[in-house]
Amino acid sequence: MSGESVSNPTREKILEVKDLHLHFGGLQVLTDVELHLYDHELLAIIGPNGAGKTSLLNCINGFYRPQRGVIHFQGQPIHPLKPHAIAKLRISRTFQNIELYTGLNVMENLMAARHIHMKRGTLAGALFFGPGRSEELRHRDVVEEIIEFLELESVRQKIVGTLPYGVRKRVELGRALAMTPALLLLDEPMAGMNIEEKEDMARFILDVAELRQIPMMIVEHDMEVIMDISDRVLVLDFGHKIAEGPPSEIVRNQLVIQAYLGEEDAFED
Amino acid sequence: MRTEGDDPALDTLPKLLRARAAHFGTGRVAMRVKNRGIWRRYTWKDYYERTRDLCLGMVSFGFHRGDKVCILGENKPEWFWAELAAQAAGGVAVGIFTDCAPREIKYFMEHSDSTFIFAHDQEQVDKVLEIKDELPLLQKIIYWDPKGLWSYRDPELFSIEKVMAEGCRLGQERPGLFEELIDRGSAEDMGVISYTSGTTGLPRGAILSQRWLVEGTRAWSKIDGWHRGGYEYLSFIPPAWVAEQGLGIAGSLVAGICVNFPEEPETVQENIREVGPHILFYGARLWENVNRAVQARMIDSTVLRRWLFKRFLAVGLKVAERQEKKYPLTPWWSFLCWLAHQAVFRALRDRLGLTRAEVVYSAGGAISPEIIKFFLALGVEIKLFYGSTEMGIVSVPRKGEIRPEASGKPVPWAEVKISEEGEILVKSQFMYSGYYKDPEAAAKKLQDGYYRSGDFGYIDGDGYLIAIDRMEDLKPLSRGHKFSPQYTEVRLRFSPYIKDVLVLGGEQRDFVTALVNIDLDNVGRFAEAHHIPYTTFTDLSQKPEVIDLVREEISRVNRTLPEHARIQRFVNLHKEFDPDEAELTRTRKLRRSFVEERYQELVNALYSGQEEISVEAPVTYRDGRQGIIRTAIRVNPVG
Repeated sequence: MSGESVSNPTREKILEVKDLHLHFGGLQVLTDVELHLYDHELLAIIGPNGAGKTSLLNCINGFYRPQRGVIHFQGQPIHPLKPHAIAKLRISRTFQNIELYTGLNVMENLMAARHIHMKRGTLAGALFFGPGRSEELRHRDVVEEIIEFLELESVRQKIVGTLPYGVRKRVELGRALAMTPALLLLDEPMAGMNIEEKEDMARFILDVAELRQIPMMIVEHDMEVIMDISDRVLVLDFGHKIAEGPPSEIVRNQLVIQAYLGEEDAFED
Repeated sequence: MRTEGDDPALDTLPKLLRARAAHFGTGRVAMRVKNRGIWRRYTWKDYYERTRDLCLGMVSFGFHRGDKVCILGENKPEWFWAELAAQAAGGVAVGIFTDCAPREIKYFMEHSDSTFIFAHDQEQVDKVLEIKDELPLLQKIIYWDPKGLWSYRDPELFSIEKVMAEGCRLGQERPGLFEELIDRGSAEDMGVISYTSGTTGLPRGAILSQRWLVEGTRAWSKIDGWHRGGYEYLSFIPPAWVAEQGLGIAGSLVAGICVNFPEEPETVQENIREVGPHILFYGARLWENVNRAVQARMIDSTVLRRWLFKRFLAVGLKVAERQEKKYPLTPWWSFLCWLAHQAVFRALRDRLGLTRAEVVYSAGGAISPEIIKFFLALGVEIKLFYGSTEMGIVSVPRKGEIRPEASGKPVPWAEVKISEEGEILVKSQFMYSGYYKDPEAAAKKLQDGYYRSGDFGYIDGDGYLIAIDRMEDLKPLSRGHKFSPQYTEVRLRFSPYIKDVLVLGGEQRDFVTALVNIDLDNVGRFAEAHHIPYTTFTDLSQKPEVIDLVREEISRVNRTLPEHARIQRFVNLHKEFDPDEAELTRTRKLRRSFVEERYQELVNALYSGQEEISVEAPVTYRDGRQGIIRTAIRVNPVG
């Protein structure tokens, strides 16, 4: 599947970032970053520590306000919007350091993510009666579908704080999915996992791409997994985009090997 | 009592299903499966219609009378539909365990000449696709969980919905076809081929006829009183195993039981509590897990709760003991029993999902008698039945006849005798009909009309059958008796004071002896409580009080053994068995012959009548240093 998306200009661009500059005081974080994401595409962002990968995600979902540049989502400029307004456009994300409600159970965490779709007020929700009730049941159904999809049945009622790290990562993906996103931003979904958990997560990500056809941007350190699952890779180094292309090309790109990996054999098994 | 399932005209499972559906229609639930957090129901009519559509779909896909179909999946309604659909079409169901590797699946498919296979999900489908090209007979692969299979484009791969839609179409085209197919079935039809794991060589396919499935299960249900219907059952033992064929698939049809399917294998404990089944079947290992979970929870509990639990457990045990001995319960004991139930057992049983449990089974491996006693105290009778794929049910403890060691009395349709060598021989009305494509192997298992079980056991004075071990795992004694060292060791290891033990016998020896490893923690605690000063493990192990303690434990186990198998003499070893010295494997299994050889001097002393022996044992420390332990070891008679 890789490569196709680059050479196919007829596909709809769902996200376009142009001329993006971000600095914190004297620290230049992103310099003239340009990228686009096609519909149904899985784009990976890689780069050494401090390259600005997470900052890029933070700009897209409105946590950071870039000093210059534009971000268009589905043809609409989103860089002036507040994070909650961007979330309402159904851009959802996961975080490097899991940000769940640790005191709530898995089900409640996922239900919380449905709030942007809830129309009824607090009172109707609290009473669990009439339209409030039917709305809750409808959302519960969506959440249950995600629980099944991510194989979280056995922890459905467990408090998130008591769950192992790998499972929490999965719950976070579940929460991002519960928003029924139009764009999914995943920040290091496999960090700190063992091989089996990584394989599971890779499979879930591919399933999301295949079944739900949600375009995704993934920031990840694990090269092997990234090369396996992504359609296209974008490489950042000190805030600059230094390469972009299908994984097979990136592996051979001298600039990438020098700048990012530092040594020549890093991509080899 | 006669129920509508008794009609002799209903001699196959599909006929029973049809009768059930006609009788109950939509009025009663046949199956429940938890899906997306909700228990979804299938009435008897749904069960029948799903089976009909699937059967006709298979027929239109080229499934013929006498064809075999493999089913590879977890317990789900689809598993049951697939088996009934195959049988309705005059075919045979072959269950495969879900953890089988592709080459094992290939063997089962090849050996059974299967043309269709049902595979649960992506994982199982992948395995089948891997071996597909090596199976010339294979025509269709049918899956029921589509997750991850959206983009599979194999021409032989179909979803169950697709097959059922095809069947629905054929049903409209040729109404009455399904009825016709069912009517052509008879009691002598092959219903199931159940592969048994041969201890030597390849697995063999035991043929179970419709008669076995229907009549055999009917007889079983009456023995244990679940034929009356209206019972709930939780299905999670693998349907590829003969027990689930009898209890879950045939049993639900024969007795009109509602079968509940857990959401996932990991959610069984949770689901059991939600269902509160009347009938339950746990493997021995699972009972041990439940027991351990209870004990662990109690240790973490408050002092008051622990105290209550201990007190009332003692009451429960006492009451159970009186009931076993058929002593009448005095009003005082009845009151205590009631109090124990209200204070502790009711909540505990609810926690474990055992509130309504009436008929509870265990099989598949030795279960410690203590666990059976523990649950008996809670008022849960675990029936440790004896049987196998070939023999069917041979003996099962009846209500009020639970004895921790025994498998109850033989069932009325089976005749049991013990051979000269102590092997259990069985003649039964409901036996398998031989091995598929291997009549010689089946003939070899017969001796004067009796089936040779290969199990060693005996019948005690009250007529209870006690199965001990496989014949081939037995050790001989010089007087011609055989005994099972593992059987004794399992029971001794249940004692908190005995960590490990090697039971010895052999052709040149007249009696049984044991090398015992005391449990340092628990014996140390005992020593503290009894003000016995000690220095090292070696010192502690040779204290007269500790020797008495171990002797008592051995005597207790000895009482449950036939006379020739009782331990006569033992020593408390001066050191623990250690994987670093190759006495144990890394998974803490005893290396029997190695240990016996290593302690040759001690073993000789056990059999020569010496009372004390001084030993020097070289030890290897973890860092590789060598050392020597010198000590005097007492050789102790059990008396």
